[in-house]
Amino acid sequence: MATVETSHAPDRDEPLHLRPGQLAVLALVALAATVAARFFDHAVPVVAAAAVAALVPRRHGWNVRGPIAITAGLLALFVAQMWPAAEATAASAPPAESAHLLSWIIALPLAGAIAILFLPRQAHATLRWTTMLVMLGTFAASLPLLRVTMGRGYHFNEDVLWLPRFGIHYHVAIDGISYWLVLLTVFITPIAAWASFGPIQKRLKDWCFALLLLEGGMLGAFLALDLFVFYIFWELMLIPMYVMIGVWGGANRIRSAIKFFLYTMFGSVLMLAAILYVAYQYSRASGGTWTFDYFELQRLLAPRHVQIWLWGAFTLAFVIKVPMFPVHTWLPDAHTEAPTAGSVILAAVMLKMGTYGYLRFSMGLFPEAAQEFAANLAGVAVLGGIIYGALCAWKQEDVKRLIAYSSVAHLGYVMLGLFAMTTASLEGSVLQMVNHGISTGMLFLLFGVIYDRRHTRHIDEFGGLAKPMPVYATLFVVATLASVGLPATNGFIGEFMVITGTFASNYLGHFAGVQAVGAAIGVILGAVYMLMVVQKMFFGPVTKKENAHLADVNGRELVALAPLAMMVFVIGLFPNIFLGPIRGAAERVQGDYESRIEANPPPKFYEGPFKLLPRRPEAPHAPSGQTAVAENH
Amino acid sequence: MTPTTLALTTLVAPASAALVLAVVPGLRSRGWPAAALCILASVVSLGAALGVLSGCLADPTPSVLAVPWLRTSSVTVAEIGVRVDGVVASMLSVVTLVALSVQVFSLGYMHDEPRPAFGRYFAYHALFLLSMDVLVVAPNLLQLFAGWELVGVTSYLLIGFYYRKPSAARAAVKAFWVTKFADMGFLAGLLTLFVASGSFGWDAHLAPGTATVVTLLLFFAVVGKSAQFPLHVWLPDAMEGPTPVSALLHAATMVAAGVFLVVRADPLFAQAEATRTVMLVLGAATALFAALLALVQTDIKKVLAYSTCSQLGYMVAALGAGSMIGGFFHLTTHAFFKALLFLAAGSAIHAVHSNEIGDMGGLARRMPVTGGAFVVGALALAGVPGFSGFFSKDLVLEAVEGKLASLPWAALLATAFLTAFYMGRVVVVAFFGAPTGEKAERAHEPGWSMRGPLVVLGVLAAGGGVFAAPFAHLYGREYHFEMGVGPSLAAALAIGGFGAAYLVFGRAKGAPLPAPLALVDRVAKTSIVNRVYEVGYRRVALALADGLAWIDRYIVDGLINLLGYGTLEAGARARAVQTGLAPDYVLAAMLGVAGLAVWAVLR
Repeated sequence: MATVETSHAPDRDEPLHLRPGQLAVLALVALAATVAARFFDHAVPVVAAAAVAALVPRRHGWNVRGPIAITAGLLALFVAQMWPAAEATAASAPPAESAHLLSWIIALPLAGAIAILFLPRQAHATLRWTTMLVMLGTFAASLPLLRVTMGRGYHFNEDVLWLPRFGIHYHVAIDGISYWLVLLTVFITPIAAWASFGPIQKRLKDWCFALLLLEGGMLGAFLALDLFVFYIFWELMLIPMYVMIGVWGGANRIRSAIKFFLYTMFGSVLMLAAILYVAYQYSRASGGTWTFDYFELQRLLAPRHVQIWLWGAFTLAFVIKVPMFPVHTWLPDAHTEAPTAGSVILAAVMLKMGTYGYLRFSMGLFPEAAQEFAANLAGVAVLGGIIYGALCAWKQEDVKRLIAYSSVAHLGYVMLGLFAMTTASLEGSVLQMVNHGISTGMLFLLFGVIYDRRHTRHIDEFGGLAKPMPVYATLFVVATLASVGLPATNGFIGEFMVITGTFASNYLGHFAGVQAVGAAIGVILGAVYMLMVVQKMFFGPVTKKENAHLADVNGRELVALAPLAMMVFVIGLFPNIFLGPIRGAAERVQGDYESRIEANPPPKFYEGPFKLLPRRPEAPHAPSGQTAVAENH
Repeated sequence: MTPTTLALTTLVAPASAALVLAVVPGLRSRGWPAAALCILASVVSLGAALGVLSGCLADPTPSVLAVPWLRTSSVTVAEIGVRVDGVVASMLSVVTLVALSVQVFSLGYMHDEPRPAFGRYFAYHALFLLSMDVLVVAPNLLQLFAGWELVGVTSYLLIGFYYRKPSAARAAVKAFWVTKFADMGFLAGLLTLFVASGSFGWDAHLAPGTATVVTLLLFFAVVGKSAQFPLHVWLPDAMEGPTPVSALLHAATMVAAGVFLVVRADPLFAQAEATRTVMLVLGAATALFAALLALVQTDIKKVLAYSTCSQLGYMVAALGAGSMIGGFFHLTTHAFFKALLFLAAGSAIHAVHSNEIGDMGGLARRMPVTGGAFVVGALALAGVPGFSGFFSKDLVLEAVEGKLASLPWAALLATAFLTAFYMGRVVVVAFFGAPTGEKAERAHEPGWSMRGPLVVLGVLAAGGGVFAAPFAHLYGREYHFEMGVGPSLAAALAIGGFGAAYLVFGRAKGAPLPAPLALVDRVAKTSIVNRVYEVGYRRVALALADGLAWIDRYIVDGLINLLGYGTLEAGARARAVQTGLAPDYVLAAMLGVAGLAVWAVLR
């Protein structure tokens, strides 16, 4: 009797309507932000940004102005703090790194998910507030990360022996590669959750549980450096997403959910087999010591014919997740049927799991095999991803399918940058992962707004929306311009760095230039299909009478969209802040890759027996019990 | 204030206005505050630009103020900031002056728009001025590219200002696509330059082959932005925007950005003789081709649009001939007189509510300021001696004379005649003779906000020639003018063109076009270039996209679905094996044991 439930929900569209008491809380938070600003000597820009942001929303109360002002103030503070010129003074006293910070970040949402189970099903407001508070708490917990200068190495390393029989450790650490991805996750999940607290009325308790479980799974997967633990988190995040599509999705939700689940599961199972095989070979090479630790397994040098299969098993799991042509077809189906918040998280974070995994594991564990296929896969990324994805997007009549195909094209850039393996292309790729999260997340969020009003995804159902919904149209154009990579928005920096890096790459054979030009053509195609959508949806006369009096974005939606819109410009205008933490890790990854390829040059690479190489200098100190093995060889 | 601070001011002023208008909707929706703020910003910008100019005239040494913006592996890839030198100073002054005139003119022209639209219009204008300034003061090609793209987007917004009109929305998208397509050349050129020289500066010394590749790629972008054949197709369509927007974007500033890029990257182009030859040929061809098309247009804005293509062809040809100053000075005078022509045309359109020159007629008597302004602009455009266009055109003709067997020179001279002829046609038909309709009869002069800019620009268009000497000084050249054979010939052709136009159109108004023109008209109506693009777009790109979308759905995804279906089907079939009857299972077990036994024996 879900329909009855929905129609009786009293607070349908403004579920978080603030009462005076809550307003006081907001005021306190604002005061705290100001005090913090004074403490950091950046009071003027922070307060100015907050004040300006508070002026923007018309026809909205302080429950909308407040959060937007706080976001703007925090972003101003962030820019002022992170600006490279300020780095020199701040670096004088590196802050102490709490050993358990990353565990807190992972555990908070998981604990929140369990806490949700004990709340009453009917208490919608309580469920929502608990979820939001847990997510914001996770966000706050991850803020200390910003104070650390990343450099080349790993930080917040935590390594606890978990299952001694197989040398399985609970090992988490963060470096420049996972840094922004973790922050992106904790940034975007609350936004998606907040946006969902209007359209999602059915089974709210299950929804909140799934959201928190998903967040914990994603964070764990980004942070885990033990392959066994990584695999657990990798599969953990699959289930809530499957449930989200299957329960709260559109008309064909069951089919899409099963397709999504089986497709991605198919890849992951092969990866599990490969993980076990690698660990087994490690134990043989090391004389009986089992381990699943990333840095230890990285030492294992496998002969070419074995390495190719291992690399293939890992890579299949990752490219399905990215997704790359030709294993991308689950994505349009999943996106079209997923609820808005599901689409946002899927596009913004989960797809990055594939690109991140490829960089960290496929390239990190099997560089020789990765190199052997890099040039061909770069061709697939350009032709099958960037160009094919863009052309397919062009002809979609379903807006969500279109955005899904645009994701295929955008992630083609990311993969191209990884295959090219220059520091510039790596930095560009990692930044582009974040950029895609923000601009595509924003597009899905925006589409959710209109879907809630019209319950259709067909482009031809819209037209002339700029008249009834001017604010909505403006935000959509901002997201579109970010998506097509206009200078001063985030998309430009990422695409530009990827293309520049690819152009100068030594790893793509003779085709580096061709790939770069192909990627540049993709930029034009992006402009073609995205502006086509904008023109069809927003410009011209209002073609359907249902659209003539649609309500513009409401307060809840505006609060969800504003941080993303701000981030588009913050990254676009201050790229150095974002590239800085990535730089050291990108250099390290590129250096490791290069030295392995130089030691085992193509075309034969390495054909001897399995052997262990020395531990990488930048790897965190091995926990006791493993150092002995390291000495053996 | 130092020159760099002044240059920075030209960025900060419109940026603040744009930001305030973007984040304070209340100001925008009331209309007038937005206009006031935008115009204030432009006044400040103009003042700062003139300060930069006077500073540069006194001391032309370049100065740069820049901060690192994009870094990788501790190498600074690019900086952002401002650079001040002769090129920047003159371009900045032209841009801000024209922008201010257009904005003041718009106060009157857009007066009848609803308040929120009025405010939005001025917010776009502030954004446009910012983008253009970012482009002009760029200390390297990367920032220039950023400005270039921003100009593209703001022009998209301005052309599509009447977004509820489908034709305007289409024209905006078309302009964006065509220029974006050309921008791929800019991007590829930048990358080639960066890989070859390690920076985005324009003073790198490149190997001859590389230099040719880089400059050809950059020139491809110029062809798009400056509406050269065959990428000129967006410019006539872009006339869907409000007329003052056409004056600003499609006459004085945005389309001139292409020419500006070539002037800016002159050290690179100087290393590539082959590229310059291409430019010379393409520029001269575009000049002649567009002038022919301008002959047969009846929409006053379309005449001016094709004329802009044609004049940009002059500039490109001059740059191709290696005369930076010829191309750039023509850009400057063209900015004055073409903005003047568009604004005067706007004033006429405002009065008669029609773009057709046939609906005007005798406007000069009813609207003396507008008529006078248009005539001054026409004379300057045609290059009648004494007017600004004469001097700049002379520099162009002097530069191309003798190059490539003087063919481009001849083409440009022929264009000079045609230019005078088609402008003469518009002047005679629209501004003299008897009023042709009721509206033309009741036309009256607009308010001072519209007349003022006409007067200012009229003075500049008429007397702009006097800037030639200080202009040359900015680049450390000498300028002296001599009424030799070339200038005399050009002058004769210009006057002859007007005479011919009077003879043909002055008497028989409304008469059919003379036979040669009718032929041009028929060719123009086929719009062959547009057709080619349409076929390319519909038959090739869209068909390809269609095919790929089908393949994706039914082959790539189909195979996966087939796999799923096959698994289900196989399961359904295999289920038959599980009969649930004990004898069957025993039989299977016996067969298994027998098989194992056979294997054990034979092994």
